[in-house]
Amino acid sequence: MLKDDIQKALAPLGLSQVAEGDYAKTGCHLEVTAEPAQMPEVAEKMLSLGCFLESLTGLHYPEHFTLVYHFGNFRELCRTAVHVKVPLDQEAVSISQVYPGANWYEREAYDLYGLRFAGHPDLRRILLPFDADFHPLLKKFEASSGDA
Amino acid sequence: MLERGLEEKTYVLNLGPQHPSTHGVLRVELEMEGEFITKADPDIGYGHRGHEHMAENRTYPQYLPNLSRIDYLHALAYNQCYCMGVEKLLGLTVPERGEFIRVITAEMNRLTSHLLWVGAYLMDLGAFTPFLYCFDDREQLLDLLDSLTGSRLTYCFHRFGGSPVDLDDDFITGCRKFIKRLRSRWADYDNLVTKNVIFIHRARDVGVITQEQCIKYGLTGPMVRGSGIPYDIRKSEPYSVYPLFDFEIPTGDRGDVMDRYLVRMREMEQSLRIIEQALDKLPSGPIMAEKVPKRIKPEAGEVYSAVETARGEFGCFIVSNGDVKPYRIKLRVPSFGNLSILPEIAVDTLVADLVAILGSIDVVVPEIDR
Repeated sequence: MLKDDIQKALAPLGLSQVAEGDYAKTGCHLEVTAEPAQMPEVAEKMLSLGCFLESLTGLHYPEHFTLVYHFGNFRELCRTAVHVKVPLDQEAVSISQVYPGANWYEREAYDLYGLRFAGHPDLRRILLPFDADFHPLLKKFEASSGDA
Repeated sequence: MLERGLEEKTYVLNLGPQHPSTHGVLRVELEMEGEFITKADPDIGYGHRGHEHMAENRTYPQYLPNLSRIDYLHALAYNQCYCMGVEKLLGLTVPERGEFIRVITAEMNRLTSHLLWVGAYLMDLGAFTPFLYCFDDREQLLDLLDSLTGSRLTYCFHRFGGSPVDLDDDFITGCRKFIKRLRSRWADYDNLVTKNVIFIHRARDVGVITQEQCIKYGLTGPMVRGSGIPYDIRKSEPYSVYPLFDFEIPTGDRGDVMDRYLVRMREMEQSLRIIEQALDKLPSGPIMAEKVPKRIKPEAGEVYSAVETARGEFGCFIVSNGDVKPYRIKLRVPSFGNLSILPEIAVDTLVADLVAILGSIDVVVPEIDR
């Protein structure tokens, strides 16, 4: 079972949570919580088990950002959600060295939230114009404010 | 060029954003040495409308029409995925007939998407005639879907809890007639395109993607199946009533442009099989769940739902904080991941091959830009 393999592989990393998820309710088989600095190690373990990065979602809460990494697998159905809390004034850690596909997802998170990723080779905006001076998915941002 | 520290023989070529082969507004900045590409840098976001931001500013039902404007070629699957997510949050179960209608319409929509892709892709490669054949077939499907949903492209059809409109006899007869018609056309397509020497030379061994690259870049859909990985959400993470039907997942073995073309062509036949079986097995009964709340206000929680669209995995990650508006909706679009491999596979190819590769990825740029 891939689920057990992932749990076994992540056990030595000392993550704060590696638990079974409620698939019928959340669509994820495993729920993991990690610190930003642990992400490259987690990514390496996931890659060694043949998992791919499905998506990277940023969330803006009043006190912190949360990054949610979803990993899937081509051979066996097992979706892993990794939650990473990042304080508002700190940087996340890039996993694009492990997953080149994460490059664009991290650029997107930077673009939408202004959240920086340490170790990213090319952290430019991706969806918005390069000279935009705002990050639209911050909760304080309002599209209708100003002259528009 | 010299400002960038490049050598004098290197030059920069701008592909798009108005180029017909970039399907929408995609710009690729190419650094070239002669006809060969040394670096490709896709520049996306020309069509960024802020769909994810819009989600946070409207109620769940109000967001339904947005879904069809993300990937306008396979809108019904996007509708379905979002509805599945919200239904999971609300704990709603869709009646079987409702699920059948969802599957039939989603497969028909997949056919329209693939038919458009074949036509437009061959036009990229310089063949004009197949485009007319494909659009002729696609038109029949659009008329059928139009009669059911009321729109031809940006469908907003599914509702939380089921489907709003039932299939009528005209629709079912029309579907059966269409299945027969399209099957009779496969020989034409084969003779016109698949066996065409010029096409084979443009497509064989061009833009090869390995299985390892598929994993590292998070590719999905025909991109991975062309490389020989039988990954299709309809089978690997069965949703709706797909487990009831007998169909195959076509795969390639070389992972080149030709394999991706063949995978899509064979997939169309599989879609026909699914529609045929669904029409045969169509159960009677209600099409909407009985107790759909008037006010959609799910409890706090997170849900990830995924469907197989024409381009790959579309995932809808909904975070609810118990309000009538979503706290966050992340749209995991297949083309975003699929295009991110372009800088790697474009290196050392000819610019004419880049057009063949780009087309074989089947990008829908508005879904990347969101």
